[in-house]
Amino acid sequence: MIETLQWTTLAICAFVAAARIPSTLRGENRSLFGIFAMMTLAILLSIQGPYLVIDQALGGINIANLLLRFVTFGAIYFLGIRTSRGFDAQGAHRLITGRGGMLVLLAVSVVMIGVFFMMDTAGSSAGLKAVSDKDSRNFALVEFYGAAGRAYPAYVGLALVPAMVRAVKDRLPVLVRGAAALLALGGVAIALTLLFPAIPPSMAALEFIINYTAVLCYVIGLALIWAARVVNSRGVPRRKKSTET
Amino acid sequence: MTLSAKAFQRWLQSIAPDASTADVCRVSGIKRTTLAQQLVRGKVSVSTVVSISRAYNINPVAALAGFEAYSALAGPPRPPSRNELVSQISSADLLRALLARPAMDAARGEAAPALSPAPHATAVKNWVDAIDDGEVRHRVSASTGVAPQNYSAQLTANRLSPELALATAMAAGVGPAGGLVATGVITEEEAGWPPGARQAALESLSDGELTALAGDRLQALGRVLRRQEQDRAQAEKIWENLG
Repeated sequence: MIETLQWTTLAICAFVAAARIPSTLRGENRSLFGIFAMMTLAILLSIQGPYLVIDQALGGINIANLLLRFVTFGAIYFLGIRTSRGFDAQGAHRLITGRGGMLVLLAVSVVMIGVFFMMDTAGSSAGLKAVSDKDSRNFALVEFYGAAGRAYPAYVGLALVPAMVRAVKDRLPVLVRGAAALLALGGVAIALTLLFPAIPPSMAALEFIINYTAVLCYVIGLALIWAARVVNSRGVPRRKKSTET
Repeated sequence: MTLSAKAFQRWLQSIAPDASTADVCRVSGIKRTTLAQQLVRGKVSVSTVVSISRAYNINPVAALAGFEAYSALAGPPRPPSRNELVSQISSADLLRALLARPAMDAARGEAAPALSPAPHATAVKNWVDAIDDGEVRHRVSASTGVAPQNYSAQLTANRLSPELALATAMAAGVGPAGGLVATGVITEEEAGWPPGARQAALESLSDGELTALAGDRLQALGRVLRRQEQDRAQAEKIWENLG
């Protein structure tokens, strides 16, 4: 079931990224394509099969996992900037691009890289499962590493939630309000990843569900805003014609 | 409120004893599927009764009065107040009338063009404002159980269900059919408003009254347009960044 969820998410994300190619070539919101492309790469790296192939190519010391974390940071950073600007959420924009946001990003990155090289990372393993199983020291380090990796997306996701909730209640087109609801849900899901250490191992599937729910909410939410624009621009010329005659 | 299918069938029997449902639909221009659905659900809409009444040359107000929920419509029609009449003149017509007044432009002095037929784009809201003593909304919501914010939302959208239109007229103590005119369910004539009553009411307004009224309408229109522009700008900004 988790495999299905992973591959479905990958397919949706890759599809949206591919669908953005024409508008990207026209020069419309290029960073949006970047966000979708990075999300697609991140999902690819989070799935066992592709992860092993890519990591082997990179030397087999789980550099791919580090890459996954930074690709995720990049995607969430640009998503945060674009969303906070679009929804006129100055508070969230400052939290993400201001000194505080940069400090969080820097601190998290330093901790992550530091912990990564303190671990015995030999042997490709998706989610660093094999590394964690080596001994109690590596187990603890993997936990720290994972927590640091989840902290930044959670920070950005939470920063966006108030503005999204506001947008849902606003007098915006229905599709945009639906999108805002999905983005808010995604932000809440991302924040829930901070609680992963509290989830008992028997419920590990819950972690996957929360992760992919967050990604799906963001991807579909952004795609909905785009769809709303297409619907709107189709409606306008029609209305113009009827009043011109 | 919708009318019960049973009462509707009884009424239909009394006005067109031999007509089949298909005949009724054909002469009244109602889609057969629509009427069939309303009958199956047991909820016949007011507009169905109005359309059929017109097709059989019956006054729709009198027809509706035969149903229990609309029995308040029975009896001789009560003439509308001047405020009600003026509220059913579109803002464009009011402005044209104002421009034709000597007080505005002494040189023009030409007659304003004939009024466009009721109802106009903000007819419902203007009608309620015209009959509101400040407490009407509360009384309507108390008597019908409709929440004030839902009532306001209907007015903003220039809509009001026939049930609420009647309840509003009753709560304000004006002629019961006024709201049905403002919502476009029935015509002025069907409600028993004298011909030319709106024009006469308009002419009875002094220059000062007309100017102040036109100003109020423009101010309200300005607020609506500004809000629409703001909403539009907000959506544009979202699309500019995320579309």
